[in-house]
Amino acid sequence: MKYFPLITIPLTIFAGIHLLGDRRFLIIAGLVLIQAMLPIIVLFEGRKPPARVLVTMATLCAIAVAGRIAFFMLPQFKPMLALVIISGTALGKEKGFLIGAATIIVSNMFFGQGPWTPWQMFALGSIGYVAGVIFYEKKIRRIPLAIYGALAAIIIYGGIMNPASVLMFQPQPTAEMFILAYATGFPFDAVHAVATVVFLLLTARPMLEKIERMKVKYGDV
Amino acid sequence: METYRISNLTFTYPNRAAPALDNINLTLAQGDFCVLCGHSGGGKTTLLRHLKPAIMPHGTREGEILFNGTPVNDLAPRDAAAKIGYVSQNIENQIVTDKVWHELAFGLESLGLPTPQIRLRTAETACFLGMQAWFERDTHTLSGGQKQRLILGSILTMHPDVLILDEPTSQLDPIAAEELFTLLAKINRELGVTVILTEHRPEEAFPLANKIIVLDNGCIIYEDTPRNAPRNILGILPTPMRIFHGIGASGTCPVTIKEGRKWLKTQTLKPIPPVQEPPPVAPALILRDIYFKYEKNAPDVLTGVSFTANKGEITALLGGNGTGKSTTLAIAMGLYKPRRGKITAHGKITMLPQNPTTLFIGKTVQEDLHEMTQNLDELEHIVRQCRLQHLLDIHPYDLSGGEQQRTALAKVLLTRPQILLLDEPTQGLDTAYKQNFAEILRSLANTGVAIVLVSHDIEFCAEYADRCALFFNGSIITQSTTRAFFANNHFYTTGANRMTRGLVENAVTATDVINALQKGSL
Amino acid sequence: MHRDAFSTYHPLVNLAFFVSVIGFAMFLLHPVALGISFVCAAGYVLCIKGKKALRFGLIFMLPMLLFTAAMNPLFNHQGVTIVAFLPNGNPVTREAIIYGIAAAIMLITVITWFACVNAILTGDKMVYLFGRVAPALSLILSMSLRFVPRFIAQAKIISNAQKALGRKTSPFKILSMLVSWALENAIETADSMKARGYGLPNRTAFSIFTFTQRDALALLFFALNIAVILAGVAAGAYRFRYFPDIQGEWTGAGTLAVFTAYFLLCAFPLFLHVKEALYWKRTASVI
Repeated sequence: MKYFPLITIPLTIFAGIHLLGDRRFLIIAGLVLIQAMLPIIVLFEGRKPPARVLVTMATLCAIAVAGRIAFFMLPQFKPMLALVIISGTALGKEKGFLIGAATIIVSNMFFGQGPWTPWQMFALGSIGYVAGVIFYEKKIRRIPLAIYGALAAIIIYGGIMNPASVLMFQPQPTAEMFILAYATGFPFDAVHAVATVVFLLLTARPMLEKIERMKVKYGDV
Repeated sequence: METYRISNLTFTYPNRAAPALDNINLTLAQGDFCVLCGHSGGGKTTLLRHLKPAIMPHGTREGEILFNGTPVNDLAPRDAAAKIGYVSQNIENQIVTDKVWHELAFGLESLGLPTPQIRLRTAETACFLGMQAWFERDTHTLSGGQKQRLILGSILTMHPDVLILDEPTSQLDPIAAEELFTLLAKINRELGVTVILTEHRPEEAFPLANKIIVLDNGCIIYEDTPRNAPRNILGILPTPMRIFHGIGASGTCPVTIKEGRKWLKTQTLKPIPPVQEPPPVAPALILRDIYFKYEKNAPDVLTGVSFTANKGEITALLGGNGTGKSTTLAIAMGLYKPRRGKITAHGKITMLPQNPTTLFIGKTVQEDLHEMTQNLDELEHIVRQCRLQHLLDIHPYDLSGGEQQRTALAKVLLTRPQILLLDEPTQGLDTAYKQNFAEILRSLANTGVAIVLVSHDIEFCAEYADRCALFFNGSIITQSTTRAFFANNHFYTTGANRMTRGLVENAVTATDVINALQKGSL
Repeated sequence: MHRDAFSTYHPLVNLAFFVSVIGFAMFLLHPVALGISFVCAAGYVLCIKGKKALRFGLIFMLPMLLFTAAMNPLFNHQGVTIVAFLPNGNPVTREAIIYGIAAAIMLITVITWFACVNAILTGDKMVYLFGRVAPALSLILSMSLRFVPRFIAQAKIISNAQKALGRKTSPFKILSMLVSWALENAIETADSMKARGYGLPNRTAFSIFTFTQRDALALLFFALNIAVILAGVAAGAYRFRYFPDIQGEWTGAGTLAVFTAYFLLCAFPLFLHVKEALYWKRTASVI
């Protein structure tokens, strides 16, 4: 199951490019999204996670959303990305991915679902996943976390969301369109990156300590 | 049939020397209504958590706990989940899902019941508890009383044999607390469910109970009917019993106010002189004709509130829920701007919020206090005043409720206020903690600080406040010195006053009545 | 939200409808199909959200529309009818302009359908739908929906408590305090779940939604229309191309059948809405 997508995703891309007609890129991208997300969800469900794990994950997810609603009205100055990175760092790649994806679903229940929802889920999920891969169960320093935060905002989040808008709404995408999408998206991504870095520098350490305290006091979360 | 039989239960938490429970022997019959009393830290919660395997604390354990004749740890997990209902202290934390209907169904989903059965059971329970009107609501829109009822419902759907409640009323106002007791009595009477609860407010719980258990330092020091409760547990008894034992009377002890009045009529009471109005002192906080509403099109929350708090006095603002007490405090604090009216404050003003954890930021109490000041002498003084010496290295969230309250108070005091506002400072505190807290407040008032507190706790205000004001519908109805206040009220007054109404004037506290009853002083 | 009949259908029916219309909206680029989907989506959103939807549409969607429409002729130089030349020498074609407008309408249509999704597929329905395939994830969503308003309220309480201490606290600090509070309280919530048997094997999923005959008929109706559309597309009855020159079927019997089926599908909730409105009007006049 775990390595299944590694085979099917290239197959999908190859078959898609050769077999499908108009809008083939969108179909391929959609299929890739599903194949990347599904195994993580299936593995997680199969493990029958205990109550404590679920509550902790829901708490982190709700904090990210509530933090966005309660404090930061500026459109791109969102704490969500930083919180997902912290979650992935504290709980590992799989939970990091799911917290990222769930955060998007819940956040969009307040701000509106759209065709962008699955892309955002994948983008934020990946950021949590990669954070888990790099930082989980390692000694945490703030600077590498912050650098990762900036890169994640620009390369992963922007890197997925900017082309997504072209893929979804330009039936015949061209290279220039992708470049333009990146260019117009960059100021927003830059603000997003700055916000993430600021959040990580100011809150990552205390928050990681808090989650660590729960692990020590109550066992694994 | 016995619901529980506990024999020789001794339990010690990890890394602790003294056992939390010491050789407990206890039998609870099916249909018992049992109240577990005792000071905080006496082992009440620890004992309750032993009654349900899923939440049993970790540590070393000896002895045996039988549920319906089977050791609890040998129960089938499904039976243990369904038959033993447990409600812990914090109402909010009990609710898991976002919809009322889903919360009611949660336990049944765990038990793996099919949809038609869940539909029937949730509907039945909602009818029994009167929840139809808000069956489809979001859980976060409910009032405290409704939430407590929802939690009860979510357990009743599983058809439990026993209901265990850890301080179920600690976060409810008096009206909601009374409703809850009525409901528990109904569940006990009509469904035959055994009820075990811990409670700080004996007035409502004792008349319902057929068994009182008193725990002290992990030992059971009393186990019998409420009426026979001995005088050495005076602090936790209802007012009539306190008065009865206070004069060392013999015969049948009264438990309810009604019984208390009947008994008082057979006694001779000497009159209590009215207390003289104390000399006027300098005012510290003056509110004049405050009008306020939260939203443009909403009705006024405050309609002309006026009151004065004096230096060196404790002023209590009483009244029901939603009458504007807390709003007044927030306005006095400057959190909201009044639409009309004037606030004059002589000196620095700070507020102790209702929930002490809203002030905690550090990893230890020490760190939290250091965050407020660099002055070590002052810090040490406040630590002593708030009795925190032995708690400095503990994480604030690991403290008990009363200790958290004192830590929060210390933080507030480090801002050196001349006017101190307190929002529901006694909610969830037991008698000992309340007394402790009142002593700190009194010592503070003696240094000239004006203290204003908002409270539902009539008995606490009667005992410790200098002046009281009654809120109703957005303004203050009456305001006077504490004794005059309670002596003139009819319903909204202390148990002792209700007990002596028409028999003797000016009795406000149990001590007043005891003094009036003392023989030979006539 | 105004009273709406389609929202009372089973969440599965709601989901099936939106998945199919949004899917088709993204892939059926025939101008007539675009028009049908757009009109139905706009009509329905006006029915359920009223004037508010109109204002949102004008402020938010107009710039997006222009941007998407402009992108095509600027970067897509296919097409035979040249209208002008860009400064860099690339041609602007009539086909590319029309294609850009088509893409923009597609975008607006999809966004409008999502506005309906947000009104009809409420949080509890989403939780239910997730619960069918991923129960643990669905429970996380349900709990998060419970926590979010609670945390927002607590953030306000913390902020006020800090103000009452006579200081202004940075939002970062408040967020950090909120995390402490939330995590410590979460443990009790987990206990509450365990106390009610969470973790026992064979957990079931309950919902107050009931699947009735009406829901089955709606699904059947969708299936029939979808089948006609797909068959039409496969048979080539629905042929349309924008480049190099605009050519396509407009009037063939098969084409008309596809359009009819597509309209019946897209307008389904609109029919229900109008039917219900008429019913209440009639009842009201009788009384």
